[in-house]
Amino acid sequence: MSAILRAVAFSLLATGVGSAERYVPGEPVKLGFKDFASGFLDYHCLECHDEATEKGDLSLEDLGPVDETNAALWKSIWAQVSLKEMPPKKKEQPEVIERLRFSDWIVGELERVMKDKGGFQAHLDPLKGNFLDHDLLFGPLPEGIELAPAASPKRIWRVTPQEHITRLNELINTEQSYDPNKPGVRTRGDAVPTNHGGELKLYFGADRIIKWQGGTVAYATSVKSVPVVLSSARKHGFENYPSFYTVNSAEATQILGKAEDILRYMAYGPLSIANPEQITDDPNSYEKVRPKGDLRGLPTALVYSTKVKRPLTPVYDLMKAPEVTEALLRGAVDDLFEALTFRPPTEKESEQYFLIVSESIEKVGKEDGVFIGLSAIFLDRDALFRPELGEGGKRGEDGRVMLQDWELGLAVNHALSYLKPDEELRRAIVAGRMRTREDVRREVTRMLEDESIRKPRVLRFFRDYFDHDLGGYICKDDKALAATGVSVRGNGHYRAMFDASASTDRLIELILEEDKEVLKELLTTQKVVATRGDSTYFGKLKTREEREMANAERKREEKKAKEKAAAELVTIKENLAELDAKIKAAKDGRTKKDLAREKKKLDGAKKRAENIVKKGTGRRGNASVQEAKLSGPKVFARVSHRSFGNGSMKPERILAEVPEGERLGILTHPSWLVSHSDAMDNHAILRGRWIWERLLGGGIPDVPITVDAMLPDEPNTTLRSRMRVTREKYCWTCHQKMDPLGLPFEMYNHAGLLRTTEHGKPVDTSGAIVDSGDPDLDGPVKNALDLIKKLSESERVEQVFVRHAFRYWMGRNETINDAPILQAAHRAYRESGGSMKALIASLVTSDAFLYRKVEN
Amino acid sequence: MMTRRKTLQSLAAGFGATLGSSLFPGISNAASLKPGVSGGPKRVIFFMQNQGFEPGTCIPDGMRNSGSLAKAKLPEPIAALEPFKERLNIISGLHGIHTSPSHSAFFGALGGYRGSDGVPPSAATIDYELSKALPETLLPHLCIGMDSLENMKGKPTVANLSASGAGQPIFMHSNPNHLYQTLYGGISQGEIRKQHEARSGMLDRIGELAASKGGLLSEGDKRRYGEFVQGFDDMSGLRERLGKVSDHLRNFAPKVDARYQSPEFETDWHDTLLDLGISSLKSGITNVLTIGSGRGEIFGSWKGLGVEQQGHNLGHMTQKDNPIWIKIRQYNSRMLVKIMEELESVPEGSGTMMDNTLIVYTSNNADKQHTNGANWPVMLLGNCDGIFKSGCFTQLDGKRPINALYATILRSVGVSGDRFNMSDKMAKKFDSGSGPLKEILA
Repeated sequence: MSAILRAVAFSLLATGVGSAERYVPGEPVKLGFKDFASGFLDYHCLECHDEATEKGDLSLEDLGPVDETNAALWKSIWAQVSLKEMPPKKKEQPEVIERLRFSDWIVGELERVMKDKGGFQAHLDPLKGNFLDHDLLFGPLPEGIELAPAASPKRIWRVTPQEHITRLNELINTEQSYDPNKPGVRTRGDAVPTNHGGELKLYFGADRIIKWQGGTVAYATSVKSVPVVLSSARKHGFENYPSFYTVNSAEATQILGKAEDILRYMAYGPLSIANPEQITDDPNSYEKVRPKGDLRGLPTALVYSTKVKRPLTPVYDLMKAPEVTEALLRGAVDDLFEALTFRPPTEKESEQYFLIVSESIEKVGKEDGVFIGLSAIFLDRDALFRPELGEGGKRGEDGRVMLQDWELGLAVNHALSYLKPDEELRRAIVAGRMRTREDVRREVTRMLEDESIRKPRVLRFFRDYFDHDLGGYICKDDKALAATGVSVRGNGHYRAMFDASASTDRLIELILEEDKEVLKELLTTQKVVATRGDSTYFGKLKTREEREMANAERKREEKKAKEKAAAELVTIKENLAELDAKIKAAKDGRTKKDLAREKKKLDGAKKRAENIVKKGTGRRGNASVQEAKLSGPKVFARVSHRSFGNGSMKPERILAEVPEGERLGILTHPSWLVSHSDAMDNHAILRGRWIWERLLGGGIPDVPITVDAMLPDEPNTTLRSRMRVTREKYCWTCHQKMDPLGLPFEMYNHAGLLRTTEHGKPVDTSGAIVDSGDPDLDGPVKNALDLIKKLSESERVEQVFVRHAFRYWMGRNETINDAPILQAAHRAYRESGGSMKALIASLVTSDAFLYRKVEN
Repeated sequence: MMTRRKTLQSLAAGFGATLGSSLFPGISNAASLKPGVSGGPKRVIFFMQNQGFEPGTCIPDGMRNSGSLAKAKLPEPIAALEPFKERLNIISGLHGIHTSPSHSAFFGALGGYRGSDGVPPSAATIDYELSKALPETLLPHLCIGMDSLENMKGKPTVANLSASGAGQPIFMHSNPNHLYQTLYGGISQGEIRKQHEARSGMLDRIGELAASKGGLLSEGDKRRYGEFVQGFDDMSGLRERLGKVSDHLRNFAPKVDARYQSPEFETDWHDTLLDLGISSLKSGITNVLTIGSGRGEIFGSWKGLGVEQQGHNLGHMTQKDNPIWIKIRQYNSRMLVKIMEELESVPEGSGTMMDNTLIVYTSNNADKQHTNGANWPVMLLGNCDGIFKSGCFTQLDGKRPINALYATILRSVGVSGDRFNMSDKMAKKFDSGSGPLKEILA
């Protein structure tokens, strides 16, 4: 198309549907391809992407209306235009409204044509949240844009695997109450943590086991545990938008099977999984009667205390009673319903489940009938999904309805907790005091201020945001891992990583307790919650020369130790000879006995000395690593019930300071670094992408499936060098923003240890912030510490953090209509001195949280 | 969007197996195919014995290189397979170093990825993938797990070996009474029948309840919630569909005897579970059966064979020439023989069911309990309609992973692809080749 024609087309576009018009975000674009989209393409795209030019081998000249066959191309155009990658910066840019409308039009068309073909949901993905220009949310609103009142869609929200297992755990285990003297110890209300191997499991009776046969694996096999049933993709980023998941038939089937086991345990406790003689406070009494032989790995290898620890509920009362009475049965139904759905059943629901259980009892008798019948409640809609449908609310003229009563109460509860509402919130709901914004503010403030009310959802936000909990799932190549300086024995590294996730969780909690400049603190803290093994992970990998020196020093020390031991041995032998003579000469038994004791000691000393002379001291240490000196007060981290005998995770930690000048905040801790690494090396692209998206608010379009996104396999070459392939023009548009943000972290190796050299040469830690949207931030950085320091002082970074908090608590991506809410949330955060509580309270009392949009 | 096929497939994980279509293609194609019709649906059986599979217990003495087994004498532990050795391919020299198989690779054994105790599956396992690719059956995938009697009673379903995806373990059945109820509840009598009816009634009621709570939902939620409601239809549907073919199933259902309710030894339940597994293949309920002897862990018990020792210590013993391991492996071999004889007894196409079957016998522990997985011995039985080489010993060079075997089996059922659960990057390190293992193909 000629330039003249394009100019004509644009003038038509500008006068017809262009920028001067009113634009209300969220309103469908009622324009067609011919009268709108083709004009946009003609004017803004075809100069480079016509048949003649085909820049990037792409011609859009024949591109027609959106259909199934060209949907992928349209999706790509949508991404490029939304992210302002296209038209290129040096070309004339569309007006803001024109760009927004074009983007909306593509999304609307893709939704329409893909409706019966799996649908189009890309724009709803949290990773695409940043496709909305940051300046439209926090800058002045361009003329012509009229905001609609904010609201979220009405929806049902499936519980997460962790929420579900925590809910089930409440039925059979009584967790410790919160102890202000031991903050950090796992208490009631905290999420059920993953076990030593990273698996999320429900344990039966683990709190009563006082003895078992065998060690590590034997315990893990003996104890009854069932894996989580609900699935979720364990990937980087937010994993729980309401639109993500359902409960499929496989999961429903498994829930039913598990339900009967849980109910039996609720009724009988360990007797449902063990023999009566195994339940004793005197394990010796069981020793006498237990089955003979090796019981390791068998349920009979366990001894349970007699102390009842599980909650005794109406299910227990029902099964204890000799007969089933209506009152007992109704009590069990109603109590179980509320335990699983977090609200009391309606009369109708109560009646329905009462009938189901009664029918089952009629068919197979009390014992099996109760368990079969009650298991139905585990599959009630509200035991698996939390509805936010605006039921009972009044629809306003703007098409919104405010949540109220149980829906609102449970939404507020869910914002912080995995448990059912506490008594105070429950009373408020029942009394009709959960109907206004002020009601919500009252409850949220109360809950946020009360440390004894655990808030696993807040911690989950930080896990989803930082992605610091994935290190244990990154399968490492043994040789590559050994080269980092950490131990490759058994599963030690993976255990260390699951421990590191728990440690970082605890560090986050400690910063949240202070609640001052939370983001900045997380990014720049010098503190670390550490295990003993962390002195290696927070250490420094020695250079080749340092290693050689250390080995030489060790040899010298060994030689010295051997010489010393040899000299000692001579003396010991002489003393022994003397002693032997004395023993021989001794007359009375007492003297003989005393001398014999002395001889035994000397024999021991002789053996030790001989050993050193023969094999050395055995003091090996880690010659490759200069360990970090970590010391500080004792603290605790939340870990799972004993899941692996003596090899289980331990809660004991210390709160230490990282070596000065070597680390700065969570992004420099091994938990985060390893979570953003791969089997062989660092993952600078992933790290850079994290910074680009989570701190700078940038977006990255999907990699086209035709692109072979692989770095060359070149042993003994630096990652930076191998990443040269991303500089291909086609890749570099995006990679120029990510790579320079990830490469400064090359100052650490892929187990998170500091390093100064790589392949014998000084490691290059340089990087840059490119095209961030804040010119003050842009520019080169020396290393990760320099980069983080710069970012931690940026207001834009803080706003991007607020955007992520919005997504997490609303369960959806922000729209321009949410701009006032985001600005208010950021203001609340800023004016409170960086308080997370203030940020959460602002979000949870916003229209986006309280209101649901009702379709006509 | 969940297709019906996907929904049914996902239900597999629930039963440790899945439901199939109402048209019962598996049944029509399998057990009731008329003689004279060539071919038939393929089926694959995985038999995973725990504690390792020492090559010395299966490779004939003196055999070092690949070659025919015709003149070789099978070692004592697998001597029961002697009459079937023209169907046998003993493979040595695959590896599973990347699966970390010491103390069992758990899901990694059938997944070809790193596994360990407590480590969730990182992808679907081969048995599940095969069940997706093979013709649809009522229960495309069935897993049974054999353990000590206490463990099977106390923990009748565990998930250690099979998975339908990352973080999605598939349970194996270890209580034959429960499994019988699932498969043959519709034709059962007495107590099993009553339980079956109670559960069916409860399922119908909660299905109705769930459906009634689907109002007021938005379009997107309706679709998601619809899948949940559909799940109840599928669960009830399985019972209905099994009920509809009850006459057919009656021909294959094992007879419930005293071993079900009052087993003397764990092997009584092992045997009944095997009977149920075989019956589900013969009746066409499933085409993929996974047997976990020791349930993927490092324990297990075989007192019924006169093996007094149990559990972990069994893995600390050398297996070759060890009377205990000879007994266990002989027991496995008898089970393999039983599977083959039973499948041979059912005509299919121009031959028998066994002609279209492949049995993969190996261990979730590679060659021994404490191992780096440098050698992962496998026995294949059956040629799956002439696709696999048999009657031979195959010595590989130790440079191709078990993933290559799985990719080969997937190819045999028509799924293209050069690798299974192994990225090109991993393959550079752990696989010297690409595509199927030509050495084992006919």
